[in-house]
Amino acid sequence: MSAEDTFRFAITALLQQPRRAGLSVLGVVIGVVAVIFLTALGEGARLYVTEQFQTLGTDVIVVIPGKTETTGMMPGFTGTPNDLTLDDAEALLRRIPEAIRIAPISMGNETVSYQNKSRQVVVLGTTPEFFELRGIPIARGTGLPEGDIDRGANVAILGMETAKELFAEENPVGKSIRIGEWRIRVIGVNGPRGTHLGQNLDQVSLVPVATGMRMFNRTSLFRIMIQLRPGSDVDEVKQKIEAVILDRHHEVDVTCMTPDSVVESLSSIVATLTLVLVGIAAISLSVAGIGIMNVMLVAVSERRAEIGLLKAIGATHRQVLLVFLMESLLISTAGALVGLGIGYATIYLVTWMYPAMPAEAPLWAVVSVLGLSVVAGVFFGVLPARRAMRLDPIIALASKG
Amino acid sequence: MGEQALHALKAVTEEFSAGEHVAIIGPSGSGKSTLLNILGCLDKPSRGQYFFDGRAIEALDPDELAQLRLNEIGFIFQSFHLVPRMDAISNIELPMMLAGIARTERLERAREALESVGLGDRVGHRPAELSGGEKQRVAIARAISMQPRLLLADEPTGNLDTRSGVQILGLLESLNQQGITLAVVTHDPEVARRAERILEMRDGEIVRRISAAEVSDANPIFDRGRGSARP
Repeated sequence: MSAEDTFRFAITALLQQPRRAGLSVLGVVIGVVAVIFLTALGEGARLYVTEQFQTLGTDVIVVIPGKTETTGMMPGFTGTPNDLTLDDAEALLRRIPEAIRIAPISMGNETVSYQNKSRQVVVLGTTPEFFELRGIPIARGTGLPEGDIDRGANVAILGMETAKELFAEENPVGKSIRIGEWRIRVIGVNGPRGTHLGQNLDQVSLVPVATGMRMFNRTSLFRIMIQLRPGSDVDEVKQKIEAVILDRHHEVDVTCMTPDSVVESLSSIVATLTLVLVGIAAISLSVAGIGIMNVMLVAVSERRAEIGLLKAIGATHRQVLLVFLMESLLISTAGALVGLGIGYATIYLVTWMYPAMPAEAPLWAVVSVLGLSVVAGVFFGVLPARRAMRLDPIIALASKG
Repeated sequence: MGEQALHALKAVTEEFSAGEHVAIIGPSGSGKSTLLNILGCLDKPSRGQYFFDGRAIEALDPDELAQLRLNEIGFIFQSFHLVPRMDAISNIELPMMLAGIARTERLERAREALESVGLGDRVGHRPAELSGGEKQRVAIARAISMQPRLLLADEPTGNLDTRSGVQILGLLESLNQQGITLAVVTHDPEVARRAERILEMRDGEIVRRISAAEVSDANPIFDRGRGSARP
């Protein structure tokens, strides 16, 4: 019996009970859609973050106050580390030859108002280097003033969206606004940059770093971004940074993050999630497989007369086995393919409705879910198929049907 | 039934010649179906031997038996045993499909077989769309599609009206005349009477062997339970 004939025979048998076959296909479909969609979201998140960090460049180190290792918590939640100050930032720039740009950052949330319009925005206190580090263009006016970073002028650069909301068509440059209780002069407007590292840079306001620290009454910086000379040894520079901090704080109470290390730790989180997903997939496919087995056992007992006939007219054990295995394989494969289609359609729909949400089914998930479905079809089809194979033709022929 | 089969036959020693037309009669439980199953290599005798064309059946494994059934033996059943979801031509194709014959050749041969049983116009009909007599003719076409040497019929007219029954018997006889050995199990004296040789069974033994020529009112086929007409 050729493979084509086995296929044809199996498919006509399945189509004879379309609802039953359809329901068992559905079981597989649900499992496959879940896997495809969830892994697509996970992979999308990973790709998104990786891409974000890549635009930052691999030659950037972010220094955050607080030590991850000592408490095992996120930096910033640790006890009471020494303040990370502007002097520290200057010392780092001075003492680390690989550092070509350094951007200290202070951050807070504040109401920005102009005449009768106001808006709550993220205010970043930083230096002109930040614009280059994060690739923020200046659309109008000038950037933040160069020079002594301790001297915070009362000036601000508005994100383009903030500027538009407060000033509409008016030119904001030179106008006076309020940020909280502070009177600030607008000296520039950002060009479009969009969301980067989870922050919509079109909506922030940027002020000189010292201004920011005063504004939010902070003694410590939020973080320091350091750009390295291309080709620098990141790990070596990390050690140098820690040495500088040790020298100044008498302990290493900062955490150095590199895009690589962030991507790495994120990848390990995604890997864990993936394992969980694979577990869920295995469970749902097993459930679907048991559904297939059930349907096939019913089919075998309903089609005893047919099986008896096949054996009487000369079907071998192997041929009977293959016919029934083919049926369960068809159910699981159909489920996998339909599930794949619906999974991709769902991804398409979601990315169409929420363009900001990245989703892309990873190839390994597609391949393994297809593979697992096929394996489940065969695995759970073996028992019913063997039962069919072992039927005594004389008894089977005596059954109704 | 498998358990029963062990005891369904006692001492049966019989030889069937090629091209013969034999009827096997007897009351229910007399062992005639078991004998037919052994003849058709569906069952092996628990004791004793069965030689098919000189081959000892006991020595064959299940796959060899399947091959033998596929190539040498055709089965016809009282309840036809057509696969309900398949049309007439596909039902006839089944044995050829098992034999791995290519589709085009299969279709051609199935069509010929269907024409030879007078159903050339029923190619695409499913069993549910056929009359009892037509179903049995499709079953016969299926049984002969592999050109077997032995045709075994278990109550082939049992589910048919008289007219269809007569047609089916005529068909079987013409196949027999073409050289196929025919063994028919029946309750029906009219069916049995058409055979060259009649074996009467009772309690697992052949109690009487009659040639068709010997059958007369004085020597009826069934000496007891007379009028055991078709069920």
